[in-house]
Amino acid sequence: MIRKQRTEILIKGSAEVSAKLAHEILQIYDVRTIEESKNSLVMVKVREGAQRSLFYLGEVLVTECKVMINGFLGIGMVKGHEPNLAYNLAIIDAAYNGDLPETKAWTKALLQEQFHINENYEALKKQVLKTKVNFNTMDVQ
Amino acid sequence: MGYVAVKGGTLAIEESLKRLKYERLKKGVVVDCQRIESGMRCLIDQVMSESSLYNETLAALAIKQAEGSPEEAVFLMRAYRSTLPRNHYSRVVEPEDMMVERRISASFKDIPGGQILGAANDYTHRLLDFNLSEESDEEAINWVCDYVLEGGEGNDRTDLANLPKVVDYLRENGLMSVCDNDNHEPDDVTKESLQFPASRSERLQILTRGQTGAVTSLGYVALRSFGALHPTVGELRMGNLPLYVDNPFNEQNEKDDGYYIGEIKVTEVETLFPEDIQNINGEKEIEFKLGYGLCYGQNETKAIAMSILDHCLEVGESEHAINDEEFVLLHIDSVESPGFISHLKLPHYVTFQSKLDSVRQSKKEPALNQGKE
Repeated sequence: MIRKQRTEILIKGSAEVSAKLAHEILQIYDVRTIEESKNSLVMVKVREGAQRSLFYLGEVLVTECKVMINGFLGIGMVKGHEPNLAYNLAIIDAAYNGDLPETKAWTKALLQEQFHINENYEALKKQVLKTKVNFNTMDVQ
Repeated sequence: MGYVAVKGGTLAIEESLKRLKYERLKKGVVVDCQRIESGMRCLIDQVMSESSLYNETLAALAIKQAEGSPEEAVFLMRAYRSTLPRNHYSRVVEPEDMMVERRISASFKDIPGGQILGAANDYTHRLLDFNLSEESDEEAINWVCDYVLEGGEGNDRTDLANLPKVVDYLRENGLMSVCDNDNHEPDDVTKESLQFPASRSERLQILTRGQTGAVTSLGYVALRSFGALHPTVGELRMGNLPLYVDNPFNEQNEKDDGYYIGEIKVTEVETLFPEDIQNINGEKEIEFKLGYGLCYGQNETKAIAMSILDHCLEVGESEHAINDEEFVLLHIDSVESPGFISHLKLPHYVTFQSKLDSVRQSKKEPALNQGKE
């Protein structure tokens, strides 16, 4: 599964999923921590709608972690102060970068989590859409 | 003006800090940061926006430490921010990708996707709800459960992550000029001191991190200078934007190779400014220009004011001070303005004594001159 999709699932979904997948790797492989989970900043570059130019909106606090498995580097990066999640994300990233056989079986679990995320999104969408205005023109006396 | 360092007052300062702590704690009740984060959403959004640092938990801590003073909380956040490394820049965030939770237009009643009120104070009665003073956690949990279980109804298939922009309608109908993406790297006011004339990216960055009250007041000044052709909010959106960061070890940076790191809540405003223009036949016509506002969190008044000021600064030269970027941009920062004002209460003994000496001297001189006569 491509990085963009899997990181989205792992961050939007339950933290239990990333913990379970990372634990699986930790049981079998030697995971070397290159950089422990620590806080840093990401500057947000955004496109404005008037002239379609770019500007910096501000910074976001993130937690970053780097690990290595069998010589393959993995990066975990997540908004907020989330040291455990960043560590688990780094392990999963390294596992995919090293094409470890365990990752083949993960697609199903990730897609299942994607299904839950979509369900939550649909529920939120329905709640939000209840606030949509249904205009009726008033009768003129 | 020269500065002279003085010693002394260490014990008094230590006792003053204790006094400050006493004021925060004297009622014997400690405010829980989690409660601030849960119940003071709007203040947290304001502090994050003005400090230009997105993190609700840190903002809640800053608010607690500052005893609810936004200016002090922003100062704390900016100071903390300066201790952290900036390791990455996000991929370009396109506000069209917003997962919208609120979206309204004051210009058009019928907009594709509809007017979605979301969570807003606009239609509350502004009557104090005395029941809230007795509200318990249990009641809150029960209410939330009931609300979630209510669910949604109907077959509305509107995709809140793909709502068309209201201004696109105007552009498609030739009522506004169309522009291509401008991918020039933006300037960064946190890296380089501001020089005038400022670039568009610098202006927008200073406006978005400006003090809410200052931006709103100056926006109001600008609004009062318009006559019958006053601006109208084309679209106001509030929702979440996804953030992606490039893989630092892959120079190719393919679209799918990026890291998703989470989402941020923002308010975006596009305000329409009607302007008289002459067409090629010399006839008068009205064309619309756009002012742009984008802020962290749900900061609607600030985002609207930002869009007004963006347009004023874009127009530039005018008899109004509000079109002068030096006047606007140098006076709205949440640390600079309160910082410089409040520094007046710090010791100025030497400079004041020098002024006092001058006054005494000038008062003595006429008396001496009189004696001579």
